[in-house]
Amino acid sequence: MTNIQDKHIDRFLTLFQSFEGALNGEKGHPMHEWRRKAIHRLKDLSFPTRRHEEWKYTPVTKVVSPTYSVNPNSELSEKKLEKFKIDDLNAAVLVFVNGQLRKDLSDLDQLPQGLQLMPMSEALDHPDYQDIVKELYISSTEKTEDPFLAMNAAFSKENMFIYVPANTHVTQALHILHINTPEELPYFYNPQKLIHLGKGSKMVLVESYNDLGEGDTKSEYFNNMQNVIHLKGNAQMDHYKLQRESTRSSHLNNTSIYQDRDSVYSNYQLDLGGLWVRNNLNAYHKGENVTTNFYGAFLGKGNQHMDAHTLVDHAIPHCQSNELYKGILDDKAHGVFNGKVMVHKDAQKTNAFQQNSSLLLSEKAVMDAKPQLEIFADDVKCSHGATIGHLDESSVFFLRTRGINEKRAKEMLQEAFLLEVIENMPNESLRAYASKWIAEKLASE
Amino acid sequence: MLKIKNLKASVDGNQILKGLNLEVKPGEVHAIMGPNGSGKSTLSNVLAGREDYEVEEGSIVEYLGEDLLELDVEERAKKGIFLAFQYPVEIPGVTTATFLKEIINSVREAQGKEALPAPQILKLMREKIKTVDLPQEFLKRSLNEGFSGGEKKRNEMLQMALLEPQLAILDETDSGLDIDAMKVVANVVNELRKQDRSFIIVTHYQRLLNYIVPDFVHVLHNGRIVKSGDKSLALELEDKGYDWVKKEAPQTV
Repeated sequence: MTNIQDKHIDRFLTLFQSFEGALNGEKGHPMHEWRRKAIHRLKDLSFPTRRHEEWKYTPVTKVVSPTYSVNPNSELSEKKLEKFKIDDLNAAVLVFVNGQLRKDLSDLDQLPQGLQLMPMSEALDHPDYQDIVKELYISSTEKTEDPFLAMNAAFSKENMFIYVPANTHVTQALHILHINTPEELPYFYNPQKLIHLGKGSKMVLVESYNDLGEGDTKSEYFNNMQNVIHLKGNAQMDHYKLQRESTRSSHLNNTSIYQDRDSVYSNYQLDLGGLWVRNNLNAYHKGENVTTNFYGAFLGKGNQHMDAHTLVDHAIPHCQSNELYKGILDDKAHGVFNGKVMVHKDAQKTNAFQQNSSLLLSEKAVMDAKPQLEIFADDVKCSHGATIGHLDESSVFFLRTRGINEKRAKEMLQEAFLLEVIENMPNESLRAYASKWIAEKLASE
Repeated sequence: MLKIKNLKASVDGNQILKGLNLEVKPGEVHAIMGPNGSGKSTLSNVLAGREDYEVEEGSIVEYLGEDLLELDVEERAKKGIFLAFQYPVEIPGVTTATFLKEIINSVREAQGKEALPAPQILKLMREKIKTVDLPQEFLKRSLNEGFSGGEKKRNEMLQMALLEPQLAILDETDSGLDIDAMKVVANVVNELRKQDRSFIIVTHYQRLLNYIVPDFVHVLHNGRIVKSGDKSLALELEDKGYDWVKKEAPQTV
């Protein structure tokens, strides 16, 4: 039945052999044993078809069909790097070119104070970290049902373990800066981060995804990324993802967050680039009085496909979640929002709020919105709303009567629409940066 | 300044304006009064260029020697036409200050003037907002969002004062206003009155005309101007009611 999908899996199994061949000395490390387990797992899985409920609106065939190269080059001059840095952001920057860490361009010897960062293989050898790594990692290899997660683990090369010790407030942000360059062949890479925040600790993580190519030379690649995050009691994390990938690329973001009691996790996401974009954000509550905030904004043009899948798993009483997703779709762009809020029987006094609003700017643009609340507790406050509309004509008219031309009037209204999400970002530099990106995309044809 | 001849316009296939004639010369203030449904708002909207209104062949609207009906909405604004809305829209996410900055420079650019730098614009806004009696913090709030009816109308007057139009049309700006807000509207208009600037004040009631003394008063009924006179006509209407004109007006064929 799944012959066609098996063919795609087979291609990745073959690709693994050439990937493995290029690993050289790393093959002897226990880390590689995990890669092998993951590829072994992949053999038993198949890529989801549109009959799969979670993938109904987002076909994966185009993403898994190309024969990708696993060893793209990572050249980039320091001069070209400058324009991808974020103005006025107090951050240590790690630079990845085509998925590969460029140590020479990164602030590896000036990491934010209090923060530990190392390759996973090193963490595995470390007596303090090895158990944490194993615990976080195991779910994404041996047991996963998701072929993309198995792939991420199998092909993981530039992986990272980030550790914040208990009661440490890391004031400087960590900026993971990805830049892609056009290559002859489409390429594929699998960034992987395991992040552990100790009790009462705090950190700010910023991920930005950029493309150096322009017009016809836009880069063609598949970024299959994974984050696994654990917040111990009372820890706080602000996590930003600002995405302006090439419009010939595929971007799959799998982020799972495990939250212990009193922890606060806030995710701010802006998706502007990518031809095919899928976000899977899953938060699991492991203790009382946890707060989860998901804020997302996206703007699709041309043939862009942008999918935001979220899950908040309310398993424990007295927890809160807030979700606000807003999207604009123009031309033939396709947007998806699937927000699942699961409130288990024991999760009394849950407070869950979800809102998704979309604007369609053209006849051919499509939005599929699916709020999904599954509530098994009886003493909870849960609300959700989904609206799909058009740009308000009377507002456009009003602005025009004040001398603002039609194109600019529409831009202003779209900016304002997405601003409602952006203004929740606590960091002023990132707010300004995100607004600038939105304005630039709106002004582009 | 403005010449309207035989203006016929319809909405959703219903003819509302049925051959309206009006001439406004530079410096004049014209009041247009009429009962509900007489076509007052249609006239304002047609002059501003709202697309839902269909103007029929043979209608002539000349503004400063140009065919107004051929101009885009924003072109009209850039050439000095200002419409104060009966129901100003709320625009969440766009602050009043950002909006004002945008419109001032957009209109200045069209008139071949240099864009004003941000600090100068801010100073100008802070000065002018006092004249409409709104607190300074309204500049930071989203445009009209959560403003009361009166505050929205004051904000319209602020925009008018900043844009300094050639021809301002006030579409029932006085409706729903208390006496203080109405005085603000009148003050802004009276301040702006000068030789080459004209006003069309569309209103249901005579009240506002106690504060803005018009040069002409016209009565609109059934899509046409059926009676014109000076300011005393407004008082007469207040006294006798619109039924009086309706009876006198020739019935449409």
